[in-house]
Amino acid sequence: MSEHAAPVVKPADDPAFQLPASLASLQLPLMSGGLFALVVGVGLAFLVGSGGALDQGSNVMPRFGFSAYLTAFMYVLTIVLGSLFFVLIQHLVRAGWSVVVRRVAEFMMIMVIPMAILFIPIVFSLFFEGSLYVWTIPDFAERLHLDESMWNTKKSFLNGPFFVIRAVIYFGIWIAMALFYWRGSTGQDETGERAATDRMQYWAGPCVMLFSLSLTFAAFDWGMSLAPMWFSTMFGVYIFAGGILAAHCAITLATYLLQRAGALRQEVTVEHYHDLGKYIFGFVFFWTYISFSQYLLIWYGNIPEETEWFFSRQRGIFGYLSLALIFLHWMLPFVGTMSRHVRRRPGLLACWAAYILVMHFVDIYWIIMPEARALGHEVVPTAGGVLGVLASVLCVVGMGSLVLGLILRVAGGNRVAPVRDPRLMESIVFENI
Amino acid sequence: MLGWDVASAGHFNENHSRFISMDQKTMSETKTERIVHGIMAEFTSVDSLLDACRRVRDAGYTKTDAYTPFPVHGIDRALGIKPTVLPWIALAGGLSGTLIALSMQIWMNGIDYKYIISGKPFISLPAFMPVAFELTILLASFGAFFGMWALNGLPKFSNPMFTDPRFDRATDDRFFLYIDAKDERYDADGVRNLLTETGSGYINEVVEDDSPKEVPKPVFLVWGLMVAFSIVPLLCILTMRVTNSSRPRFHVFFDMDFSPAKDAQQVTSLFYDNRAMRPDVPGTVARGQLSESLDMMTGINVEELAQQNAPRAERLVRAYLQGDEQAKAEEVAEVSEQDPPADEADADAAEEGSSDEQPAQQDSADDASAEDKPAEDKPAEEKPADDQPAAEKSAEDEPGKEEPAENPPAEEKPAEDKAAEEPTPSESSPQATGNASQPSVMETTPWLKQNPLTIDADLLAAGKKQFGIYCSVCHGMDGRGNGLVNRRAQAKGFDTWVPPASLHQETLYADQYPDGKLFSTISNGIRKMPGYASQIQLRDRWAIVSYVRALQMSQNASMEMVPESRREEIEREVTQVKAELERQAEEAAKAAAEREKKSS
Repeated sequence: MSEHAAPVVKPADDPAFQLPASLASLQLPLMSGGLFALVVGVGLAFLVGSGGALDQGSNVMPRFGFSAYLTAFMYVLTIVLGSLFFVLIQHLVRAGWSVVVRRVAEFMMIMVIPMAILFIPIVFSLFFEGSLYVWTIPDFAERLHLDESMWNTKKSFLNGPFFVIRAVIYFGIWIAMALFYWRGSTGQDETGERAATDRMQYWAGPCVMLFSLSLTFAAFDWGMSLAPMWFSTMFGVYIFAGGILAAHCAITLATYLLQRAGALRQEVTVEHYHDLGKYIFGFVFFWTYISFSQYLLIWYGNIPEETEWFFSRQRGIFGYLSLALIFLHWMLPFVGTMSRHVRRRPGLLACWAAYILVMHFVDIYWIIMPEARALGHEVVPTAGGVLGVLASVLCVVGMGSLVLGLILRVAGGNRVAPVRDPRLMESIVFENI
Repeated sequence: MLGWDVASAGHFNENHSRFISMDQKTMSETKTERIVHGIMAEFTSVDSLLDACRRVRDAGYTKTDAYTPFPVHGIDRALGIKPTVLPWIALAGGLSGTLIALSMQIWMNGIDYKYIISGKPFISLPAFMPVAFELTILLASFGAFFGMWALNGLPKFSNPMFTDPRFDRATDDRFFLYIDAKDERYDADGVRNLLTETGSGYINEVVEDDSPKEVPKPVFLVWGLMVAFSIVPLLCILTMRVTNSSRPRFHVFFDMDFSPAKDAQQVTSLFYDNRAMRPDVPGTVARGQLSESLDMMTGINVEELAQQNAPRAERLVRAYLQGDEQAKAEEVAEVSEQDPPADEADADAAEEGSSDEQPAQQDSADDASAEDKPAEDKPAEEKPADDQPAAEKSAEDEPGKEEPAENPPAEEKPAEDKAAEEPTPSESSPQATGNASQPSVMETTPWLKQNPLTIDADLLAAGKKQFGIYCSVCHGMDGRGNGLVNRRAQAKGFDTWVPPASLHQETLYADQYPDGKLFSTISNGIRKMPGYASQIQLRDRWAIVSYVRALQMSQNASMEMVPESRREEIEREVTQVKAELERQAEEAAKAAAEREKKSS
C-alpha cells in the first residue's frame, strides 16, 4: 500500500531474525562484568553504611548496603515487569502493530526468573534485624513510641515468614505468566500454529488482573514497607507507572540497538518507533499524573503520618532530587517527546528512551534510598557522599549488565522476532497515517 | 482532506473555468444553466485510486480531494496534501487552558476573594493543578475538534458531489478522485484526458445542486412560534421573582431558601450545648482581629501599665487575648465604676447598704455593675453631706468645683439640667478637695493619649454615623447631653433619672480625658451608662472617639481653623445669627418693658 515494493515476510531462518554476532559476543563480558560491578557496588554500599547507629542523628545511613541493592533490584524488576505487562496488553487487545517488537519485550519479560534468584539477598536481609526493613527490629514500636495494639496488627502482615510466603507467591505468579507467554510465542516460531495466539489472548485478561494485584502488593511489601508507618494506596500504581514507562523506553532502545547491529532492518519501521514514542509520551504523563496525585492527596490531607514520607524527601540532597523529578522526569521528556517529528526519528527517540531510563533510576533511588537513614524525625537522609553515589550506581549498572548479558544469552538461542506470528505481516506493513 | 468551500464556489474566473452544460438526461428544461465545480472520477480499487492520485499530483494539481469508504493509509502523500496545522491549534488551546486556569485561580483565591482553604496559602500551586490540568485537556480538545471543523469548512450541509447518484457508492465500494475547477491548472479537457489515462471507468462533471434552496415559509412560522413560546416560561419565572403574592412563594430558583443554616439565637441538636451560635474557641482570635493590638482593644498603653501594675496588665491579656470571661468582668467592673466610697466598695453587701436610698436602682443592677450602682446615684443626690473620703475622685469632679453652676462635669453630677431646679451641683466641689489621698483606677491607668487609627474624613463620617445611632439618643446630636431619652425622662420627671453628661466640658477634653479613657468609657460604660463593646465594633468605637473630639473642637473653633474657601460663608451665617439674636433680645426687652408698664 505504501510507495515501496510490497514487503514479504522473510523465512524464519533469515539472518534478519538472528541475534547479530556483534551483540552475541557481548554476553559473557556483560555477565561477568555486571556480576563483578554488582559485588563491588554492594561491598562499597555496606562500607558506606557501616558504623551508622540505628537511631542516632548521625549522617551515616545504617541500612545503606541492602538499600542500594534493593534500589538496583527494583529498578531492573520494574522494567522486567513492565515488559511482562506490555506483552499481556498486546495480546489482550489483539494488537497487530507491535508484533515485530514483541519478542524484545519477551526477552526482558522472561528475566523475571533470574530476578527471583536476585531476590534472595533481600530475604537474607530479614535475618539481620533492621538491616533493610525496620519492621524486623524487635523493639521497633517501643523505639518509636507506637501504639502497641496498632503495631501488633501491622506485625500480623509485616513479619518475616509471611513476607517470604508472599514473595514466593508473587514470583510464582509472574514466572508462571512469563513462562506461559514465552513458550507460546517461541513455540509458535517452530509450529506456526494460530491456536497459540488465540490461547495467549484468552488468558491475557485474567493475567492482567493477577498482574495488577501481585504488582501492587509487591510494591507495598518491598517499597512501601521500608517506612512501615507510612501508607499510600497509590503506591502500587506509582511503581507500575514508572515500570511501564521504563519498559517502553527499554523496548525502544533495545530495538534500535538491534537494528543498528543488523537485525530486523526491514521489519521494524519508523511507524513502530512512532507508536512506541506515543506510548513513551503518554506514560511520561501517566507517571506524572500518578505521582502528582499521590503527592496532592497527602499534601492536601496534611496528616503527619502521611506527610512524613514526603517530608524526608524534601530535605538535603533528596529535596533537589524531588525537584529534578518534576523538571527532568516530567517536563523535559514531556516537551521533548511531544512532537511527532521527534517520535518519527528513531535515533532521537532512542536517545530520549535512554534518558528516561536514567531518570527512572533517579525515581526508584528517590523512593528507596531515603529510608536507609537512621530512625528519628529529624534525621536528614543523604546520598552517602561520593562513595555512596558510586556504590549505588555500581549496583544498578552491575545488575543491569548482568541481566542484559542473560538477555543476550537467551536471545542468542532464539529468534529476535515472532517469525510465524499470524499478525507479523500486518505489523510489518503497519502505517500510522 | 482538503478544505473546500461551498460559499466561494460561484466566484471563480469565468473565462477560465465557467461552464454551461445542458444535462439532457436529468433535466427536461434546456434553459437550465449549471455551474461546474470540478470533475470527478470513479475507481474500483484502492490501488487504482492511489495510482491516479499520484499521477494527478505529479501533473501539478493541488486543489484535489479523494473520497473513500474507509481510511486509506498514504493517501495524503499520494495527493500531496501538506501536514495539517491542527496540532498547533490544539497546543495553543492547551496552553491557553493552563494559563486561564492558573490566572483564574490565582485571581480568585489569591487576590479578589482571599479565602483560606484547608490551611493552604492563598496562592497554592499544587491545589491549582487539578483545575489547570482539566482546563488544559478541555481547551486542547476544543482546539482539536473545532479546529478540525474550521479547517474542513464544517458544518457543511451539502456538497455538490452529492448531485451525482453514483457518488453514493463512495460510502460503500467505490473510490472517487475529484479535481476542483478553481485549480490553477484546471482545464476541462486536459483533466478528462488525464483521468481517462489513469484508467477510471467513469468521469463526470460536478455541478451545482439545482434543487430549490429557499427554506419553506411554514418552517419560519414554526421557528417563530417556537421561539415565542420558549420565552413564556422565562417570563413567568421573571414575573414571579419581581412581584408580590400572598401565596407561598414558588421556588424556581432555590437560592438558599431551604438551607439548613441556623439563625442567631436558635436552638440546634448538633452541639452538646444546643446553641446554634458558637462562642469563640478559648485561646483563639477570630480572623481579621489578630492585627488589633491589646492597646487598641483596651485604650490603655499596656506596656506602661505592665510596669506600674503588672497583675492588671496580666488580667488584660487574659481578658482580651485569651477569652477569660471572669477576668473581663473584673476589668470592666473596675474601669466602669464610678468612685464608690471606699467603705461601700469594700463591702460585698454594699448594695444593701446603699439601697436604702436608691432601692429602685438596686433591683435593676446586674452583677457586674452592682458595685457602681450605688456610687452612680449617690454622687448625684447625696454628695453634699456624704463622706466620700477615700473616694477616688475621678478627674471629672474637679472641673465641677471650678465651674460648679454651669457645667457639672460628668454624669455623676446630677447634671446641669437638674441644676436649674436643684441647687446641689456646687456641693460636689468641696468633696473633691478632700479626697486626693487615693487616686482611682481611672486616674492612674496610663491611657492612650492618641487615637490609634488614622483620622480622616472616612473615619469621622463613620464616627458621626455611630454617634448618631448609639450616643445621640442620650447625649444629643450636638453632644450637650439633651437627647430624646433625656428630654422624655425630664418631661416625665423620673426622680431616679441621671441626666447624661454634656460632652462639652473641659474635663472631657483630650488634655484631661485622654482618648483611651474616652474609648474605655464607651466600651465599658461608666456609672449609669452601659458599655457598648458588645454592640459597636472596635474600630467604630475609636471612630466615635474621633468624632467626639471633632464635636468638642467645633465649640472652640477659631476662624483660622476654617478653610479659607468656606470662611465667607460662615462669617455670613455668624452675622445673620447675631442679627437674629439682637432682634430677639430687643423684642424680649420690649416685651419686658411692656409687662413692667402693665404691672406697674
